[in-house]
Amino acid sequence: MDAFGMGLVAAMGALATISGASEDIDSDIGSQSNPNSQVQLAAQVGNPHRIYNKAIAGEPPSNALWCTCAAIVAYMLIEAYHMPALFAIAAGAAFAALVDGVMSTSAYFGRNASQARFNQWIYLDIVRYTTTSIMAHVWITAFCITTIAYIQIYVLTPHHPFPLPVIALIWGLTVGAIGSSVGDIHYGGEREFQWRLFGQGLNTMLSGQIVRKAEAGLRNSIDNAWFCAKFGGPCTGLGFGLTVFLDNWRTTVFDPVTQASAAIAMGIFFVLVMNVYNFYCELSARRKYGPYPGYKGDIAA
Amino acid sequence: MNFDINTIVYMLEIIVGGLLVGIGVHFVPVGGAPAAMAQATGIGTGTVQLAAGSGLTGLLSAGLMMSVTHNLWPILATGAVGAMIMMDATMLTGTWIYAYAVGAPFASAKVTYDPVTGWSQPPYVAPGTVGQGIPTVCFVSGTIGAAMGGLGGAMIYYPLVLINHNPAQSAIFAIGIFMVDAVLASWNIQGTIEGFHDPKFKKWPGAFKACLISTVILAVVAVLITPITGGA
Repeated sequence: MDAFGMGLVAAMGALATISGASEDIDSDIGSQSNPNSQVQLAAQVGNPHRIYNKAIAGEPPSNALWCTCAAIVAYMLIEAYHMPALFAIAAGAAFAALVDGVMSTSAYFGRNASQARFNQWIYLDIVRYTTTSIMAHVWITAFCITTIAYIQIYVLTPHHPFPLPVIALIWGLTVGAIGSSVGDIHYGGEREFQWRLFGQGLNTMLSGQIVRKAEAGLRNSIDNAWFCAKFGGPCTGLGFGLTVFLDNWRTTVFDPVTQASAAIAMGIFFVLVMNVYNFYCELSARRKYGPYPGYKGDIAA
Repeated sequence: MNFDINTIVYMLEIIVGGLLVGIGVHFVPVGGAPAAMAQATGIGTGTVQLAAGSGLTGLLSAGLMMSVTHNLWPILATGAVGAMIMMDATMLTGTWIYAYAVGAPFASAKVTYDPVTGWSQPPYVAPGTVGQGIPTVCFVSGTIGAAMGGLGGAMIYYPLVLINHNPAQSAIFAIGIFMVDAVLASWNIQGTIEGFHDPKFKKWPGAFKACLISTVILAVVAVLITPITGGA
C-alpha cells in the first residue's frame, strides 16, 4: 500500500460518484429508463405532457456506447497523436455528447410523432433547451468514466490489462445498470406520482396518471432533474462510487500477489456489512410505515 | 493451436462458466419497470442489464488479478467478490430510496413469510401491487446470484486468456458469452423474478439446457477463433 495509490483510488471513487449522479440526472431529464413506461402510457390514457422522451435504449447499453465512444477517441488521441490525457479525454467526452444529442433528438421526435393520434404534441422549445442539458450531463459521465479507466490503465499499479475502450464499456454498462436500478425509483416511484398515498407501493390503477403540473406552470423534464438531483442522483452516485472505490480499495491496500486472500476476505466483509445494513433498512421501513390499513387477511403483521 | 487435453479442459471451464451465469441470473431479484414505480418486488431494472453490470464488474476484478497471477482460485474468488460488491451496493442504495424517498415497507408477494427473517409479508403488500422494495430474502438471493455471475464470468475469461494470451480479445469474448447466457436465462424467467424463493425459480432446468447448448457452441468457437484471428 502506498499513499499515492490510495489517493488515486479516492480520486476514482470521487469521479465515480460524480459520474453516477450525472448519469442518473441525464436519464431523468431524458426520461430514458423504466419510469418512461408511465410517460409513454400517459398520453395514451388521455394525459398529453411536456416531458422529454428519449427511451430508445436501456440505460446500460446506451451509457456503454457513450463511454466507449469517448474512450475510443481519447485512446486514439493519446496513442496515435500523443495528446495530453486531459485534453484527449475532454475531446472524447465531447464526441460522446454529440452522439447522445443525435440519439436523443431523433428519439424525442420519433416517440412523440408516433403518439400524434393521442393528441401528444412535439414541443420545439423542449427539444431546444432540454437536449443540451442531457448532452451536458452525458459529457460529465463520459469524462469521469474515461478518466477512471485512464487511471486504472496508466497510473494505478498494478496496471489493468484491458484497453481503455473495454474498461470504459464495462464501467459504462455498470453505471447504467446502477442508475437504472437506483435513481429510477426516485423518478418513477416518487416524482411521477407525488399525490399518491405515502407509505405504500403504487397501485397499478394509477398507471399513466403522472403529475403534469409543476411548482409553477406545466412540468417539464428540467423540473424533474431539479427534484431528482436532491436524492436519486446522489444515491446513484454513492452506489457507483461504492462499487468503484471498495472494489479497487481492497486490491490497493492488499497486494494482489502476496495478499490475495486478504483482499478477497475484505471484499466478503463489505458484502456482509451491506447485507446487515439492508436488514436494518427493512426493519425501520416496516416499523415506520406499518402494515396496509385495509388488509383483510388472517396473517398477523 | 494443437487440440489436446488442455483444449478440452479450457472448453469445459467455459461451459461451466456459462452455466453458472445462466443459473446465477435466476437468483437476481429483478422486478422490471414496475419495480421502479414500487409496484413489484425487486430491483427496478432488466435482468440482463443488472446481471451484466455485476458480472462484468467481477470480470474487471478477475482481469486485474489474472495480470499478476495465473493461479485459478484467487481469480475466480476475486471475480465473485467484485460482482457481489457491485450488486450489494446497487441494492443497498436502491433500498435507501424505497425506504426514505418513496416510503414503502418491503414485502414479497410470492411468499407468506420471508424465509430468512421469518417476517410476515401479505399485510405489507399494498393493493394493486405485487410487493415492493427489496426484502432480506431478495437481498441474500441477489448476493448469491452476483457471486455466481462473477464466478462464471471469471471462469470464462480465465481459459480464454490462456488460449489467446490477449486480455482485450478475451474480455470482449467473455462479455459476449456472458450476454448470451444471461439473455437465455432472462427469457426463461420471462423478465422478472424475486429470487430463489420465487416459484419461477423451479424453471431453472430449462435455462440450464439452453445455456449448455449455446455455450458448447461458443466454447468450440472460442478455441478455434485464435488461429483465425492470429492470436499469439
